[in-house]
Amino acid sequence: MTLKLGRHEFADDATLMMAIVNRTPDSFYDKGATWAEDKAFERVAQVVAEGAEIVDIGGIKAAPGVEIGPAEEMERVVDFVARVRAAYPSLVISVDTWRASVGRAVCEAGADVLNDAWGGADPGLVDVAAEFGAAIVCTHTGGVTPRTRPYRVEYDDVVASTITDTVGYAERAVAAGVSRASVIIDPAHDFGKNTFHSLEVTRRLGELVDTGWPVLVSLSNKDFVGETLDLPVGSRLAGTLAATAVCALAGARIYRVHEVVETRQVVDMVWTIAGRRPPARAIRGLQ
Amino acid sequence: MLPEYAGLVDPVVELRAACLAAVAWLGETGPVEVVADAQGRRVAEALLAAAGGLVSTSSTPDVVETPEGKAAPEAPSAYLVVANGSARRGEKAPGHLDERAAGFDERLGRALRGPDLEALAGLDEGLGAELLVGNTTGLRELGGLLTAEHRAMVDYDDDPFGVQYWVMRWQCES
Repeated sequence: MTLKLGRHEFADDATLMMAIVNRTPDSFYDKGATWAEDKAFERVAQVVAEGAEIVDIGGIKAAPGVEIGPAEEMERVVDFVARVRAAYPSLVISVDTWRASVGRAVCEAGADVLNDAWGGADPGLVDVAAEFGAAIVCTHTGGVTPRTRPYRVEYDDVVASTITDTVGYAERAVAAGVSRASVIIDPAHDFGKNTFHSLEVTRRLGELVDTGWPVLVSLSNKDFVGETLDLPVGSRLAGTLAATAVCALAGARIYRVHEVVETRQVVDMVWTIAGRRPPARAIRGLQ
Repeated sequence: MLPEYAGLVDPVVELRAACLAAVAWLGETGPVEVVADAQGRRVAEALLAAAGGLVSTSSTPDVVETPEGKAAPEAPSAYLVVANGSARRGEKAPGHLDERAAGFDERLGRALRGPDLEALAGLDEGLGAELLVGNTTGLRELGGLLTAEHRAMVDYDDDPFGVQYWVMRWQCES
């Protein structure tokens, strides 16, 4: 099925790079490097030049911290979305928010995708997506409250829970009027999960792909990579790319990333090994 | 040249275009017989198909239905010879550098242009094999198919990967 992300459409075998753009002073990876609007705008220019098809703009870091109300969140992202929309008409703009009120404001400003990292905590978000023809990302968090860390979470079967919740959310979105072509599921590594859960979701990602919904993975520099390799933030690229390769082989379609170029190379390489993409230019042994 | 080995970017745009144009030209005259080894035959069939759904005489049935009844198919009026020069023309060539390759290809190129029927028919198969020439047997056979009345047209003459390729057509002027 063609993937429809707001104003943009993609073939059903396309893989997409979703570059993270933080409008936050405190996100774990960049620690506020793009907090200033101009710095964030430079980041957009950079990832577009690197080939990202999507930018994912977020105004609130995922981890616990100072509470940011809807008004403050909107102040951080709405005008910025409008500025990016005007400068890059062919770029897919996603906004990382769980709030329907923020979703409405960014869709009015030109957003194409609502990336709800918190698994439908605000039930009104799907109605906003439906109203504006926006796509929605349906994540699995195990039902936790937004901006909380997992603590002794247990699942009988984390993958089964992930499929039940994301597919349930996807069907809710369709029932609310979101186009079936505009619904994406995301197992949400590290969200409501310990490292063993995230590793199992990675290992069994094919089961999510088999649901038929396009799968987004957000692996970039996360704690499950850091704990697996005992490496701090800043030293997790190789581990991230290894997890990326496993997800690509399983058939994940969208990759939410800090490093666009490296991820694109890994995904293209694996997609080609899997026989879903031809080599770029093949002459060796064929002369 | 084979569709199953296609990449996103075609590394032989000009060569492929020349091949397709030549094969299309060949197909205009009637049934095409292929002179090639097994791999070259795959290339020939792929080119014929890509040049407008043509097929070679070996791919058509021995007996065809006509309004008048069963009949033998039309005799070939054109030949498609699939071959190439040496693949040992440089250090990056598939067969690395063989100092004899350039001289061999130069003589072969001259014989094709002539056409020099005797030189083609007398090509050294052993040397051809050593120099990784594609289908020396077919080139010798070409010497038997051409006549003194044939004139050569050279559409392509280059060695982009250390392999010598020509795309040439010959037409009988009498």
